[in-house]
Amino acid sequence: MQYQSSALVDDYLRTRKIPSTACSGCGLGINHKVVIQAISELGLKTKDIIWGTAIGCAGRQTFATWKGDGFAGTHGRVYAIARGLRVALPRDKKIVLTVGDGDAFGIGLLHLIHAARSNAGFTVIVMDNLGYQSTGGQFGFTTPQGAKTDSSPYGMFEHNLMSEGMDVMHILKGAGATFLARHTATDGLAAVESVKKAISNNGFSLVHMPYPCPTNFGSRHLGNRNAVNILRWMQKHTAPLGQEKPDTIWATGVYHDARGSRPELSELVWDSVGKIRRTGKL
Amino acid sequence: MKRFLETGNFAITEGAILGGCRFFCGYPITPATELAEAMSLRLPQVNGVYLQAEDECAAMHLCIGASLGGMKSMTATSGPGFILYADPYGWALGCEAPMVVMNSGRVGPVSGITGAPGQGEFYLTRYPTQGGNFETITLAPNSAQECLKIIVEAFYLSERLRMPITVLGDQLLTDGMEDISVPENDDEMKEMGLRVWPRLYHKGPDFYPASDALDIPPVQMGYDTGALCSDWTPTVEGYDIEEVEEHHKHAYRLIYKVRNNPQLYEDFYEKKYMDDDPDLVVVSYGTPSRVVNTAVERARSEGLKVGALRLINLWPFPDRHFSRKTKYLVVELNWDGQLVREVQRAAPKDAEVKFLGCCGDLPTIPDLMETFTKMLKNQPLERKGWVLEAW
Amino acid sequence: MKDRLEIVASGFGGQGVVRLGQTLGEAAVKQGLRVTMLKSHGTEMRGGYVRSQVVLSQKAIDSPMCETPDVFLALSSSAYNRFKDTVPAEGIIVYDPAFVEEIDASLPCRQIAVPAKDIAVRNFKRPIFSNAVALGSLAKLLETMLEKNVVLESFLEVIPKYKDENRNAFEMGYETMNI
Repeated sequence: MQYQSSALVDDYLRTRKIPSTACSGCGLGINHKVVIQAISELGLKTKDIIWGTAIGCAGRQTFATWKGDGFAGTHGRVYAIARGLRVALPRDKKIVLTVGDGDAFGIGLLHLIHAARSNAGFTVIVMDNLGYQSTGGQFGFTTPQGAKTDSSPYGMFEHNLMSEGMDVMHILKGAGATFLARHTATDGLAAVESVKKAISNNGFSLVHMPYPCPTNFGSRHLGNRNAVNILRWMQKHTAPLGQEKPDTIWATGVYHDARGSRPELSELVWDSVGKIRRTGKL
Repeated sequence: MKRFLETGNFAITEGAILGGCRFFCGYPITPATELAEAMSLRLPQVNGVYLQAEDECAAMHLCIGASLGGMKSMTATSGPGFILYADPYGWALGCEAPMVVMNSGRVGPVSGITGAPGQGEFYLTRYPTQGGNFETITLAPNSAQECLKIIVEAFYLSERLRMPITVLGDQLLTDGMEDISVPENDDEMKEMGLRVWPRLYHKGPDFYPASDALDIPPVQMGYDTGALCSDWTPTVEGYDIEEVEEHHKHAYRLIYKVRNNPQLYEDFYEKKYMDDDPDLVVVSYGTPSRVVNTAVERARSEGLKVGALRLINLWPFPDRHFSRKTKYLVVELNWDGQLVREVQRAAPKDAEVKFLGCCGDLPTIPDLMETFTKMLKNQPLERKGWVLEAW
Repeated sequence: MKDRLEIVASGFGGQGVVRLGQTLGEAAVKQGLRVTMLKSHGTEMRGGYVRSQVVLSQKAIDSPMCETPDVFLALSSSAYNRFKDTVPAEGIIVYDPAFVEEIDASLPCRQIAVPAKDIAVRNFKRPIFSNAVALGSLAKLLETMLEKNVVLESFLEVIPKYKDENRNAFEMGYETMNI
């Protein structure tokens, strides 16, 4: 069977990586398409964006899908690489990073916080598949509390960054991020609008995009690998910000919009370097 | 040419700038902090960027990013920070990102003694990361003036071989002051034998050919060449792949681009009194070699047939210096003996290889003289005792 | 002139021992000599011991260590006791009796007392100028290798504050030294 490519694929994606090696029913493609559609609606071309990825399902599945230049960092460190790259690249180039929840909120959280702190001009799309799935399905730090996974056979009982009033967004907002949003894979066009805002922000943006993993999470926690089942389950636990219900896990929408409120890292750096060169001081 | 009384750190800073470095990212650690401070002062004056990272691991990753974006970059640390480079060092080797890494050795293990010199990372600079399947280059200068030259050279090598280059120093080298001549123009740079290679970019599409060739430009982001680089095993175009044959090609390139081009680094050594087949060859690198040189000169003046071999290029290890069957004494700033193992491996099986260690302080000339004499007279060497002194 | 001249200055933190070594080094660089200078601190910047080891030569210098110093300036008892035995018979120890109370008379080398602190306090009411006095006395000792006015000029560059006092204190130290 020939894969039928859409206009978005023709414009932005490398056919070599299509079809992907993702499991059947994986929700990553839904989120990936949201990002590509946002880029398309912003009128950006492949030369305008450098695409970085991390490790795990999100990293490996999105690496080298972008037609333009792309890189994959070591686990959790892509936020540090991107900061150096941001400073070196011309200002009109944008950087988009598609990473996993373990990468961003586990091993890479320190570097992510410092990327937010410095308001580094790039967009982090956290493709959250509810845990560490490429290693077989262990819980992560935004895995819903109580979830049964391969490393929480009795249910995940530790405190995490997504329950008991805690939200990883609090940390990132406090650290200085200038655009934060969350959308689950069932949010559709609302997610596209947020990603557009994120990419157009001249500063640090992050969009948290939980998506279903039927193969590991579905089978362990929900009892089957039915893709529709886990999508329904996620939809049930998703509500717009301000309309949360007692069983809401993911409150979605724009969490924090402070675009333009602080100078961007590379602009600040180069303006400062210029000033020091001209006058010998800041 | 301008002359200064300055530290090794100053020489490294000026060398880096001459070598084209315009991005430095570090994390404060004794004794590399003063280098970071000097960079923070000097780089903006030459349109360069100094950034401070949240840890050493991030610091080298920022250098990777800057290098991918076209800037010649450098980071510097001491042993406890160098181990945090393990992660990015592997990436930089695998993706062939040029940069320079400075390690100013202090006394370990762990934090050890912060303000005293040590040489505990000889093997760590050969194997700075996991996985194997790569060759590394380490250069170890022994004076401030040589620091300047070696840093310029490290940038040169990193561009031509597209890889990180480690410069290994120690606390005395980087903190100690010496008279230093700094060239002020291209002619003076040539006169001092300083060479610079420009940053070029790879136009693709075969970013990772199975070749040991020099001067394949590094993969760069931002030129819209469709360049790819990742931590996975790459196909020639840069796609991630899990096939042993592709991996073999990748590993071949990483190993043999270095091994098959020894002309680039093999001349970095110094021999003193080595022309008459000495009965004892004293082997060392870095700051201890300066005491060794003085001691060997003294030994010669007393009629002992001793020669000094100082390694500057530590890795790939220059086996060819050790082909002669003679006595070798290896002097290092550690108690466990690291360089001595390589000398034992490289020397003929029946050669006599002995070790003189100390750490935190340089060996003394009387100690060295006594050891030379004993070895020449075939007397056994004693373990150096510990003397407790009240300060 | 000697092939290689070793100078050690040691005392406790805050006495300006490093600046003193640096001054001699700067002066030597100005006169086209080769120089090395190592500074070592004890565990703390202040209160611990500080030592600077300066080697001057007309040729490239190999070992930067002063294992047999030609001149040793001792500005504390502990520094004196730690390094006095390294000074060879033809070497000279210069010490400040305000800090080094007890002298080892059995040493083979010459030992010269320079009351740097006393001179500083008497003339400037401040002990911080004692390192200028001590430096002046060393400048006299090293006159065959380093020109006095170059040493003074370098000192005023290394310590740009209190130029008049430092100049006067330096001269007093120079005059005090009898060889």
